[in-house]
Amino acid sequence: MLYWSLKPLFTEPMRLMVSALAVAVSFSLVIFFSAAFEGESEQMVVYLEKMDADVWVMQKGVSNMHMASSMVWDWKADKIAQMPEVREVAAILYFNGAVKIGGKDWFSYVIGVTPDYSHTGPWAMVQGKAMPGPGEVVIPEVTAKLTGVQIGDEITLVDQSLKVVGLSKGTFSMASSIVFVSREDLGDLLTGRDQYSYIMVYAKPGIDAQALTARIKDEVDKVNALTSDAFIDSDRQLALQMGAEIIRMMTLLGTLLATLIVAFTAYSLIARKKQELAIAKAVGFSNSQIYLAALCQSLVITVLGLLFAVLISFTLLAWLPTIVPQINLAVRLHQFTSLAVAILPVAILASLCAARTVARVDPMTAFHR
Amino acid sequence: MTKTILQANNISKYFGSGVSEVRAVNGVNLKIKRGELVLIMGPSGSGKTTLLSMLGALLSPTSGEIIIDGTDISSVKEAALAALRAQKIGFVFQAFNLLEALTAEENILFPAQLGTEGTQGAKKRLDELLTRLGLTARRKALPNTLSGGEKQRVAIARALINRPPIILADEPTGNLDSHKGQEVMMILHDIARDDGCAVLMVTHDPRVEEIADRILWLEDGALRDRKSEQHSWVIDPVCGMRVDEWTASVMTEYNDKKFVFCSSRCLSRFEARPEYYVNNR
Repeated sequence: MLYWSLKPLFTEPMRLMVSALAVAVSFSLVIFFSAAFEGESEQMVVYLEKMDADVWVMQKGVSNMHMASSMVWDWKADKIAQMPEVREVAAILYFNGAVKIGGKDWFSYVIGVTPDYSHTGPWAMVQGKAMPGPGEVVIPEVTAKLTGVQIGDEITLVDQSLKVVGLSKGTFSMASSIVFVSREDLGDLLTGRDQYSYIMVYAKPGIDAQALTARIKDEVDKVNALTSDAFIDSDRQLALQMGAEIIRMMTLLGTLLATLIVAFTAYSLIARKKQELAIAKAVGFSNSQIYLAALCQSLVITVLGLLFAVLISFTLLAWLPTIVPQINLAVRLHQFTSLAVAILPVAILASLCAARTVARVDPMTAFHR
Repeated sequence: MTKTILQANNISKYFGSGVSEVRAVNGVNLKIKRGELVLIMGPSGSGKTTLLSMLGALLSPTSGEIIIDGTDISSVKEAALAALRAQKIGFVFQAFNLLEALTAEENILFPAQLGTEGTQGAKKRLDELLTRLGLTARRKALPNTLSGGEKQRVAIARALINRPPIILADEPTGNLDSHKGQEVMMILHDIARDDGCAVLMVTHDPRVEEIADRILWLEDGALRDRKSEQHSWVIDPVCGMRVDEWTASVMTEYNDKKFVFCSSRCLSRFEARPEYYVNNR
């Protein structure tokens, strides 16, 4: 029976391919939404990861960088630097808001950097200089491409005009790009020339970061300290939380679409074979045996669809950012495993339509001439 | 004494109710023994296929009982009935009803998974049937590459694969020309004689009468005695065979005249070139 149900699938390879590709497209949509969201979420914590600090110190009550503001007196950075467990500190001023580039507002992380802490600037440059001085700005290369802005052009940060002196790589995100300005300019804007927003702490070898955070909180007044892992995780969670509902909805819609496609294919296969079903029933096959055969057909189409989806995702989705640079995609194994788990319910749901047809077929129709 | 393998006791089948009630089969009694070839004949709409469907456990009678190899099927549940069909009854249909995607041998083996031997166990039986029915060279062929006669031989082999004691055939020669039809009838005759199967055949083909052990005449849903004078012989304008106009089911009208055929194949040929056949009668 299984052979009888599967052989027609493979004797009509074009029909099978079209069905499996349709399923693959809907699965790929699910993977695309998930990859885009995950890519964006990762991009939102890329600065924190690139800084590679052991501990992040911020204003008391703050535990994020995304959608947050923090102000810490600059002497606190010096105090932390004096601690025997600390190898080095670096600090930045930070503001998140819109930056007008090429006449369009871009929601950005604006990082105010100082030459004292040179590694707090962009980690990869495409053109120009990495460390902006007063009146200067470094913007993402992708933003420059999208807006036509070049080195020497001006952009606006709130009420300040800044000259583009560098184009950085890996700093663009649709939700929040990273723009680097001088600490002086951002200090003027935030009226906080003697303050920092975040202090990055680099511990001496062998020092436990968790113990260091406790020590900093104990010894430095009105600050919060988090290990780098906890800080990044906290920001990533916030980013994911913001889009999780949308992604869940998209995933559900994509899965429903895939179910509908598999159901339609399974139903049309069964509907076209009504006479053969009647023969199968006449010769002694039961409804449940025939239903199982229909389920196997649905499973084959769904599994094949998923395999195609994996293929599409790893080729097309990996290639997409090179032609659409503003998209950050992160294709991960768990996106496929969650879909693989969904396969059996999808196939069962899809074959329910076929089950109704199977039950209704009258074996007497085998006598029709 | 030969065992009765199929028995119907006063079976009736009504469709609809009230004024629209149709009595397709009305109080039929019959007994068929192993090794018998029995024909059910009668005019179109007389209830032959309905009777065959009930005897094949595909349709429940409104009243009466059917006993297949000692089992009263009225008390058997649907799943068990399907199993009983798989092991006790082989079906041969007019339209061959082969599964398109399967080769000749796969079609023959199709019901074997429900038989007592299973598909692997039935391989020897398959070879035997392929040889017996002259299909060895065509075993890997798909149905759309087989001739009508070959298709019907495959269908017969499929009906025989599980060694059922009963073969029910519905117009098995209806889609075949006279030569192929004769061949199929002889195969069914041999199945009854050599294998001891009870072969029950619904047919309009008068040529089968010569090889049948018994002929049952169904009219208005009831079995009646058939009188020889009820024949009305006419000539098939295509193949020139003698056809009983009274029982024929394949006919057409052309230029206000009625033409009767031995098979639908002859009808198709006639419809393609009616002038040729009318003028050469």
